[in-house]
Amino acid sequence: MTADESTLRELRLSVREFLQAKSPEEAVRKLMESEPRFDPAVWAQAADQLRLPGLSIPEEYGGDGFGMVELGVVLEEMGRALLCAPFFATVLLASQALLASQDRAACARHLPGIATGRTTATLAVAENSGSWDPALISARATRDGDGGDGEGGGEGGWRLSGRKSFVVDGTTADLILVVARTVAGPSLFAVDRRAEGLTTEPMRTLDATRAMARLTLDAVPATLVGADGAGGRIMARVLDIASVGLAAEQAGGARRCLEESAEHARTRHQFGRPIGSFQAVKHKCADMLVQVELAEAASREAALLAAEGSEEFPVAAAVAHACCSRAYLFTAMENIQVHGGIGFTWEHPAHLYFRRAKSSQLLFGGPAVYHERLLDRLGI
Amino acid sequence: MAHDDMQDFATEVRRFLDAHAVKAPDRTAFTWGEGDDSMAYFSSLPPEADREHVRRARAWQRTRHENGFGWITGPPEYGGRGLTPLHDLVYDAVEAGYDVPDTGTLSVVGLGMIGPTILAHAQPHIKDRWLPAMYRGDAIACQLFSEPGAGSDLAGVTTRAVRDDGGTSRSSGAESGGAWVLDGQKVWTSVAQHSEIGLALTRTNPTASKHRGITAFLVPMDAPGVEVRPLRQMTGGADFNEVFLTGVRVPDDHRLGEVDGGWTVALTTLMNERATVGSEGAGPVAAALSPDRLSALMRATWTWDDRALRARLAELLVDATATGYLNARATRTLRAGAAPGPERSVSKLMYGQNLTRAAHFVSDVLGPRIIADTGEWGTYAWAELLLATPALRILGGTEEIMKNILAERVLGLPKEPAAAKEVRP
Repeated sequence: MTADESTLRELRLSVREFLQAKSPEEAVRKLMESEPRFDPAVWAQAADQLRLPGLSIPEEYGGDGFGMVELGVVLEEMGRALLCAPFFATVLLASQALLASQDRAACARHLPGIATGRTTATLAVAENSGSWDPALISARATRDGDGGDGEGGGEGGWRLSGRKSFVVDGTTADLILVVARTVAGPSLFAVDRRAEGLTTEPMRTLDATRAMARLTLDAVPATLVGADGAGGRIMARVLDIASVGLAAEQAGGARRCLEESAEHARTRHQFGRPIGSFQAVKHKCADMLVQVELAEAASREAALLAAEGSEEFPVAAAVAHACCSRAYLFTAMENIQVHGGIGFTWEHPAHLYFRRAKSSQLLFGGPAVYHERLLDRLGI
Repeated sequence: MAHDDMQDFATEVRRFLDAHAVKAPDRTAFTWGEGDDSMAYFSSLPPEADREHVRRARAWQRTRHENGFGWITGPPEYGGRGLTPLHDLVYDAVEAGYDVPDTGTLSVVGLGMIGPTILAHAQPHIKDRWLPAMYRGDAIACQLFSEPGAGSDLAGVTTRAVRDDGGTSRSSGAESGGAWVLDGQKVWTSVAQHSEIGLALTRTNPTASKHRGITAFLVPMDAPGVEVRPLRQMTGGADFNEVFLTGVRVPDDHRLGEVDGGWTVALTTLMNERATVGSEGAGPVAAALSPDRLSALMRATWTWDDRALRARLAELLVDATATGYLNARATRTLRAGAAPGPERSVSKLMYGQNLTRAAHFVSDVLGPRIIADTGEWGTYAWAELLLATPALRILGGTEEIMKNILAERVLGLPKEPAAAKEVRP
């Protein structure tokens, strides 16, 4: 189901108010230096008061069944606030992987907990190179005995070994979905956080608002999710949806950078007048506005096409990914520039947006990857 | 606007077009090496071909008019249908699927901009005289605004209009009757050589501040003293003109709006300009931004595997596609009856930049083949587009002006301190 513009406006306002209260800049800065990297109380409130984790989970699994347009509005607000929370990994990565697997038993087992906020989750794909291409992974999955009942083997009947890197919320996620290679090819598996043989280690990140971890898997018991060897197909779908979700976050962050720059340009005086009255600054802000408008339009269009199940969606997802990555990085950089020296200080929030912008641009591989993906989706 | 109403209208349009035109060939599919490889943005036709082109355009406009599609948004008393801009969009969308003469010569400036201005500001008998004739295709109108000394600063016009008795104007506007004498020079006038009338901005009060001493007149282009000279542009063609006005006598009833109140009239015209400039054309524009066309070009030149060029192609297509999404969002907003955002100005900016980037991308793919004509199909032809693109960042509002507008009106940034109010003689 999709809501109309006034409902979307209400949704945006309620999320914005919630985040202004629960995730102001001071809270973000505090969490950036904390373990866990999010506030479980705020996460629980986001679930209980606003039903956010379950917003786009299908109703049959306990969610509210909204689509990408509504989710996009929520993500724009979260991006704008630099919210430190497991939302992206749980909802855009893990939940989408479960849904894309078409494994109804797995969905029924995990999605209800996710929808109520009780279960956080993530998706572990990339390894040392950082590539999200399932063809390049080497973590492997082997059958546990002959499907028998080896001790500690768990109900899944598989064992995973290898290393994963760049795993968002890897140290805190209750459920970790892992892409590992079987004889049939890359496949999706479910691993419990407390599973034997699993070690997680936080990574130092450019953007401290998005926690990442290294995982070491040593014969970790796992359950196959979806068909054996379906990892490639599942990841293609996940990356399309996740990049649209990311695009919305990026658009929200870019809009915030534009607002901060415009506000500064209106109020900062030098040479006896507001710096925004100088054409160089004025044009810089206009350039930022152009990028933000394109980014919001691309993000919304991709969300609309996803909601419609349109065959034009994959192209739109690639366009949104590229457009919003560029827009956010550009506005984050120019936001620092408009602020001058103060924009370069630790205490000013501009660098926080810069870090998130740069990290988001490169999360799934960056321009080298999304350019080729677009050409591929265009079929040329 | 009810969906059914639009559907009914679209059906009516289709029925009209089926009866009077043939379907357009599928322009999306193309085979490398076949068909016209022209990439000319400006038509730049030789005089006889140009006249024939206008003849056909007038004839098609007449056919549209006779069947109730001459002025879709205009009032019925002047031959219009009294419908909405959305109906206009629907008509254009349906007509795009048919092979009909291009009426741009009549409609981009005359029907799209000057017609609404006449409607808003002319005296009733002048409206009667010109509006039906324009929307029938009998009268073509051009815009006599820009001057060598008044481009972005349009309010700086110095073409003089003096009352025929030699007296100065009075701002009360109560004066009427008699005639005015116009002297000056206009530039960048498209379509002047075919026009029956021109809308001229003149200076009627040199002592008033810049914006307050302007008066607008409808000038019959066949009046003694009106001289149209082609203006040769960078591409080699002459799609624009200079128009010299020497002692041109214009009756007072051809004045639009108040004496010294011409800036308001100009704003009416300019507001309609933003709507027409920046809309996608067919032909070279579509080709320059078409994934199929550009990838075919790269394959034909053995550059398809060049990673750097592929990355640039991807970025170009991101821009073109995102601009399309922005236009789609603007249409949705219009359809929902909500106030428009800055989409139009942003889109206009992106249009010039997208085509410029496309032309330079293609040039880099072609390499030497664009600096000298090897005779190979679909190569040197792109030079015409390359040479046309500088105009797209200038005409209809320069990039710099567009950015000022976005920053000042959308972001609320302050204007430069006290701009010059006096007109330099």
